[in-house]
Amino acid sequence: MTAPRPLTEPPPSGTRRGLRIEVTNLSKHFGPVRAVDDLTFSVEPGRITGFLGPNGAGKTTTLRMLLGLVRPTAGTATIGGRRYAELDDPVGTVGAALEATGFHPGRSGRDHLRVLAAGAGLPDRRVDEMLELTGIPAAANQRAGGYSMGMRQRLGLAAALLGDPEVLILDEPTNGLDPEGIRWLRSFLRHLANEGRSILISSHLLAEVEATVDDIVIITNGRLVRQGAIAQLRGAQKSLVRTSDTDRLIGALRIADVDAEPAEPAEPGAVHALTRDLRLIGDVAMRAGLPVWELRILEDSLESLFFEATEGTSRNLGTADPAAGQDGTQADRPTTATEGGDR
Amino acid sequence: MIAATRAELRKFFTTRLWWGLAIGVALSAVLLTALFTGLAGNQGLPPLDSPNAVSQAYTSGLTFAYLIVLALGIISIGSEYRHQTISSAYLTVPHRVRLFAAKLVATAVMGAIYGVVYVIAALATGIPIITLRGFDPFPADDTVLRSLAMSVLALALWALIGFGLGALIKNQIAALLIGVGVAWIGEQLILLGLAALDLGAVGAYLPGMATVALVQEPLQVEGMPFAFEYLQWWQGALVLAAYALVLAGLGAFRASREDVS
Repeated sequence: MTAPRPLTEPPPSGTRRGLRIEVTNLSKHFGPVRAVDDLTFSVEPGRITGFLGPNGAGKTTTLRMLLGLVRPTAGTATIGGRRYAELDDPVGTVGAALEATGFHPGRSGRDHLRVLAAGAGLPDRRVDEMLELTGIPAAANQRAGGYSMGMRQRLGLAAALLGDPEVLILDEPTNGLDPEGIRWLRSFLRHLANEGRSILISSHLLAEVEATVDDIVIITNGRLVRQGAIAQLRGAQKSLVRTSDTDRLIGALRIADVDAEPAEPAEPGAVHALTRDLRLIGDVAMRAGLPVWELRILEDSLESLFFEATEGTSRNLGTADPAAGQDGTQADRPTTATEGGDR
Repeated sequence: MIAATRAELRKFFTTRLWWGLAIGVALSAVLLTALFTGLAGNQGLPPLDSPNAVSQAYTSGLTFAYLIVLALGIISIGSEYRHQTISSAYLTVPHRVRLFAAKLVATAVMGAIYGVVYVIAALATGIPIITLRGFDPFPADDTVLRSLAMSVLALALWALIGFGLGALIKNQIAALLIGVGVAWIGEQLILLGLAALDLGAVGAYLPGMATVALVQEPLQVEGMPFAFEYLQWWQGALVLAAYALVLAGLGAFRASREDVS
């Protein structure tokens, strides 16, 4: 199940042990509801893994099982080979910010962290360092009842980082952050991952984490749909060219060693070229004496993968008919989304 | 375990609840001690010439103080559920038996601290009034000292009773209504019912009655329709401790097995 490491990523630095998260045949049934159903995936050190699925897909239940808050019906979830409850130094090993982890409204953010620090045997100095790092040192002295969503997210992140953990688990960390906050979080997480930490972030929106993560795990109705490196799942990068004579352009591109094909679904004059080098396409068209009416990179394959994988299967929308999508609008959708194969 | 207990104590001292309740405990000590020492010798109350009468005056406010401490115990765990901080607690100390042991220790310590607050407030009020009225605020034998020491123990145990209730009834508001309602009014109704059925001896085992037996040698107020029966002070201690340990133990057991979502 290990995703191949892209060559562009530096290997994790040797300063950290690098703990893998392994979820194996994990299930949780609430009465007749299979919130998590035989789920298997892993999270690698030094990489950011996006845990994706529509609301109600079982993401939070999975994270809670991983953290020992919910007992699995079957299967195991381990961090560096051990269950959370077996960790010698849980706060120094795993930092978690769960969506439903609250703050007492009458306690200041700083005191919230001081309580956690006391429980983990950490000095109060560490609390102030984390408040500084997450950018809320001043506000932390006010009572948490008045915090904005973004402040709560930053305080949750400060709490997760308190023990300088090897593994970071964040549930919907971008919720309530403004675009600047999301950018800040992105570079912050990248920095932490480059230090060799394993990072798992859940989201119901692919777009919010797409630029942040290296690997993705998609689940729906508690079952694995896809997992792998985002670059691999995104598939080859395509560009769209519109011209007067598609056959001649395709021929010219192939001579220039660029694979090309008529656009799918078919559009008059549109060609898909399997490259992101727009300048090369333009040069080839000019040499062939063909006009270029439109030229741009197509980057929607992951988005459509996510929608195809999750659309119409969310149990929140009632008993959606799996055949409902076959009305011809998207004739080339993959087979049943819950197969979990590596198409 | 020590770190976990420190964290639990920090939880108490980092919200405003603890000193609000401390004021309530001190007020109940001041007002009732003043009332009982001031009225002693009148209104059917015995004069302050016996160690027993003095210790009754000092501990007269305890019936209110233990309700406040009961509420403290309920809120200490109830607010963890209400504000969803229980997840943080489990993440910090995943060993749940250890976590709940720490919570029980911290809750008992808080109850004892309130007991000390009560005793200081009762003495600060009672000593001047008793002296002014020409009696000895510390009669020679150890009845008064035992009474004050047992007041501290009683409040520590009531805090644990509250903790147990709060851990068994996760809805904080419901736990408060049920806990304080039963301890304050419910017990009186049960006592009257038992007395009417001629089962006063059973009533002695109710938590409020056991508390009274623990902290004073109860007097029979004249003019009451029924004569209540009381345990010996050490029996009262055992009965109250049994309530505290059974409720807190059951609450901790339930919580230690729960899924938190």
